[in-house]
Amino acid sequence: MSTPVLEIRNLETFYGPIMALRGVSLRVEEGQIVTILGANGAGKSTLLKTISGVMDPEKGEILLDGAPIQRKEPDHIVRAGIAHVPEGREVFPFLTVAENLAMGAYTRHDTADIRRDIEMVYDYFPILGERRDQQAGTMSGGQQQMLAIGRGLMVRPRVMLLDEPSLGLSPLLIKEIFAIIRRLNAETGTTMMLVEQNANVALNVADFGYVLEIGRIVMAGEARKLQASEDIQEFYLGNTGETQRGQRRWKRRKTWR
Amino acid sequence: MADGVIYGVFEPISFGGCTTVPELFRKRCREYGKATAHREKELGIWTSYSWTDYWNHSMWVGLALAKLGLKRGEVVSILSENRREWLYSDLGVVCMGGITSGVYTTDSAAQLKYLVNDSASTFLFLENDEQLDKWLEVRGEMPTLRKVILFDRDGLRDFSDPDVMFFDDLVAIGQGEAQAYPDRFDAEIDKAQSEDTAMLVYTSGTTGPPKGAMISHANMIFQMSGALPSLEVEENDEQLCFLPLCHVLERLVSTYIQLASGARINFAESGETVFENLQEVSPHTFVAVPRVWEKMYSRIQILRSEATAVGRWSLDQAVAAGAARQNFLEFGKSVPVAVAARYRLWDRLVLGNLRRMLGLDRLRRGGTGAAPISQDLLRWFHAIGVPLYEGYGATETSGIATFNDRDQNTFGTVGARMPGTEVRIADDGEILIRGPHVFKGYWNMPEKTAETIIDGWLHTGDVGRIGNDGALTITGRIKDIIITQGGKNITPAEIESRLKFSPYISDAVLIGDQRKFLTCLIMIDQENVEKFAQDNTVPFSDFASLCNAPEVQELIGEVVAEVNKSFARVEQIKAFRLIDVLLTAEDDELTPTMKLKRSFVEQKHKALIDSMYAA
Repeated sequence: MSTPVLEIRNLETFYGPIMALRGVSLRVEEGQIVTILGANGAGKSTLLKTISGVMDPEKGEILLDGAPIQRKEPDHIVRAGIAHVPEGREVFPFLTVAENLAMGAYTRHDTADIRRDIEMVYDYFPILGERRDQQAGTMSGGQQQMLAIGRGLMVRPRVMLLDEPSLGLSPLLIKEIFAIIRRLNAETGTTMMLVEQNANVALNVADFGYVLEIGRIVMAGEARKLQASEDIQEFYLGNTGETQRGQRRWKRRKTWR
Repeated sequence: MADGVIYGVFEPISFGGCTTVPELFRKRCREYGKATAHREKELGIWTSYSWTDYWNHSMWVGLALAKLGLKRGEVVSILSENRREWLYSDLGVVCMGGITSGVYTTDSAAQLKYLVNDSASTFLFLENDEQLDKWLEVRGEMPTLRKVILFDRDGLRDFSDPDVMFFDDLVAIGQGEAQAYPDRFDAEIDKAQSEDTAMLVYTSGTTGPPKGAMISHANMIFQMSGALPSLEVEENDEQLCFLPLCHVLERLVSTYIQLASGARINFAESGETVFENLQEVSPHTFVAVPRVWEKMYSRIQILRSEATAVGRWSLDQAVAAGAARQNFLEFGKSVPVAVAARYRLWDRLVLGNLRRMLGLDRLRRGGTGAAPISQDLLRWFHAIGVPLYEGYGATETSGIATFNDRDQNTFGTVGARMPGTEVRIADDGEILIRGPHVFKGYWNMPEKTAETIIDGWLHTGDVGRIGNDGALTITGRIKDIIITQGGKNITPAEIESRLKFSPYISDAVLIGDQRKFLTCLIMIDQENVEKFAQDNTVPFSDFASLCNAPEVQELIGEVVAEVNKSFARVEQIKAFRLIDVLLTAEDDELTPTMKLKRSFVEQKHKALIDSMYAA
C-alpha cells in the first residue's frame, strides 16, 4: 500500500478527565474525499481539532505524508499543508471578503500566485467575487461558508478538513456547496476530510467513510458500502423500513456491518 | 443408592407443606402480604412492589384469561424482557392450570411463529411495540392464538386491533371477574396436581428445531427442597434478576427459589447495566453465567493496569493474602493465625472496597453454571472473599443437577449430585441422571422423549467422570466429540476452555472432525483486545480491521501456542481464524447467553474453515 496523505494511529484526546477520542486510527488516501459520520458528541470535531493542532492528543500519531505532526503548533501544521475549515465558518467578520482570503494566504509569500489563487476562489464562488469588498460578517451563512472554504483553499492544502459545511444551510445551498466541493476535489485534486451530520450528502460526495461513536470507529468502508448498510440506513439516513403498522418507534440494535 | 431414597412416588414431594407451585405461591403471598417482593427501576428510581401486588395481579391475569377462554393444560407464551409483569403473567397462568412458555426477545418473527405453533399457545404476552411488530409480521400464520396482550402502551397510542389488548385492560377484566367470583382463583389453585406441567422451556436445539421441555410442579418443588439449603438464599435477601426468564436457571432462581425463600427480586434494567445494577442492589446471592464473572475479573485487571504503582502493589498483596488463606481452606485445613491475620488486614484495606465496588460486599454465595468456567477464575474470586461455586444442570433436569457448596467444593468439578438424585456414567462416558428433578418429556415428541429418558435415566448428552469424592467433572458434549482422520477422539470443550481463559478470547470453536488436523475459530473479546491495540499502538478502525491487524493475529497466535503446549501433538491446533464480525444475540451463531453454537458456526463460516484446510 502506498503511503496515505494523512494517517492517524491510535489517537486519544481528552477534555480534562473526559476521554473524547478513545483510540482512533484511519487513513486518507491522496485525492480522496473521506467522510467522518457520527452523532453529537461522537468526537468528530475533536478529531479535526486534534489533526489541525488546536488540541493536543494524549496518545497516538498523526502522519502527514509519513511525517509526524501531532502536538505541533497549529501554524506549523497549516504550513505543512493542512487547512481546517472550522464548524460555524468563523470568518473574520470585520474584514472584507478579499481581506479574509488574504488572511488565508498569511503563510505564503508568492504574491503573484496568491493573486491567481484568489481569482480561482472567485471563479469557484462567483458570489464572493461580486462581494469582494463587503464585510464578511454582513454576508449570509451560505456565503460565509463559501468564504471559509475559499480561505482554506488559499493555503493550497495537501488536505482540507471540513467541519460540517452543511450546518445551518438551506437544502438548496447545501446542494450547491457540495457540488463545489466535489468539483474542487475533481479539478484541483485536493484531498478532503469531511465531517458531517448530514450523512446523505456526505456519503454522496465521499469515496470512503468512517463512523465514529463515542470516540471509537465502529464502521469503515467505501461510501457506497456504508450507504447500503442497514445500520447507516436506519441511524444516519433515517430509513426505518416498513412495518405492518406503518410507524415504528423502537430502534434496531446496531451491529455495524 | 446409598442414601436410601426409593423412587416410585409413595408420597408426593413437598416443600413447606405444599406439593404444587400455586399452593406455595398462595401461602407465601398470604404470609408476606405488604412486604416487598419485587423491585423495578422506573424512570431511574427503584420502585417496590409487594407480595400482595404479586398475588392480586396474578389473580387478575389468571381470571381474565379464563374469561377469555383459557383452559387447564393450555399453553401461554410470553415474549418480554424480565419485568414483574412477566412473573405476574407466569403465576397467573400457572395458578389457572395453564402452562407458561418463554420466548427470547432476540428471537425473530419466524422463531416466534414456530414456538407459538409448536406449543399451540392460545395467548401471547408481548412486551412492547418492538415485539408487537414481530407478531404482526406472522399474525395470520398462528391459528391457535386467541388474544395477544401487550405490557407497554408506549408509542402505541393510535394502535388498535381486535386481536390485541393491553395489560391494564386485561387486569381490569380480571378485577371484574374477581368481584363476581371471589373464590374461583382459590378453587383453581386447589385443582393443581403435582404431576401437572407448569412450564415449557424450549431448548435451543443445535440440531433440528427447538424442543419444548415439560417441567412439572413436582420438578420445581423438588428443586426448591433440594437446592435451597445449598444456595443459601434466606428470607429478605436481595437478588438480582438479569438472565432471561425463558432460561430454566433464571426462572428457577428468580421465581421458585424466591417463593421458597421469601427473598426480594430486583430486576436489572438491561443486559448492559448489570454491573451498575449489581452495585445498587448488592445482592446476598447471585447466580450468573461465566461470562459475567469473567467480565468482572477483566474489569478489575484493567483498573489494576491503570492504577498507580502503590495501588497495583496493594491489590497484588491483597489478592496474594487471600490466595494464601484460600490454599488452606481449599484442602480443608485450618488457617494458621498469621495467614488469617494477614488476610484480615488486606481484607480491611483493599478487598472489602473491591467487593463493594463490584457490588458483592453483601454476597453470601455466588453461583455459576450453564457453561464451563476456569478453575483459576473461581480461585481468584475465593481469594478476594467472594465464595463462588460452580454447578451443573440442564433444562431437562429442571435447573440444577449437581453443585458445589460451602460444605463440599472441589474446583474444576461441578460438584456432587443434588441430595435425593442419582448420577452415573454410561459405558460411553455419557452422564446419566435420575431423580425427581428429571423433566416429564418433550412436548408432543414422544420419540425424542423416549430417546432421552431411558428407564428413568436422563441421557444428558454430556460426557464426564465422577471422582472419588462424588464430584462430577464435565469434559464436553458427546455430539461434539471430534474424530480426526487419524482416528483420534478429542473432546473439544477441554481445549476450548483453555483458550477461553485468555482475557483476549471470548469464545472458541474447535474444528477437525474427519479432517487431517485440528483448527479453531476464535471470537475475540472486543474490549480487551481493543485495549491491547491501544496500549501497543496497533492502528485499527472497526472490528474487522481489529481482527485483521497482524499484531492481534500474533497475540492470539501466542495464546494458541501456549495452550498447544499442554496437549499432545494430535490435539494441537494447527491453524486458527478470527471471526471478524461482531456477533450479537440476534445472530444464529450465538445462544442468548452469548455462547457460540458449534453447528451454526461451522455452517456460517464454512469458507473461513475451508481456508484453513486449503493448501
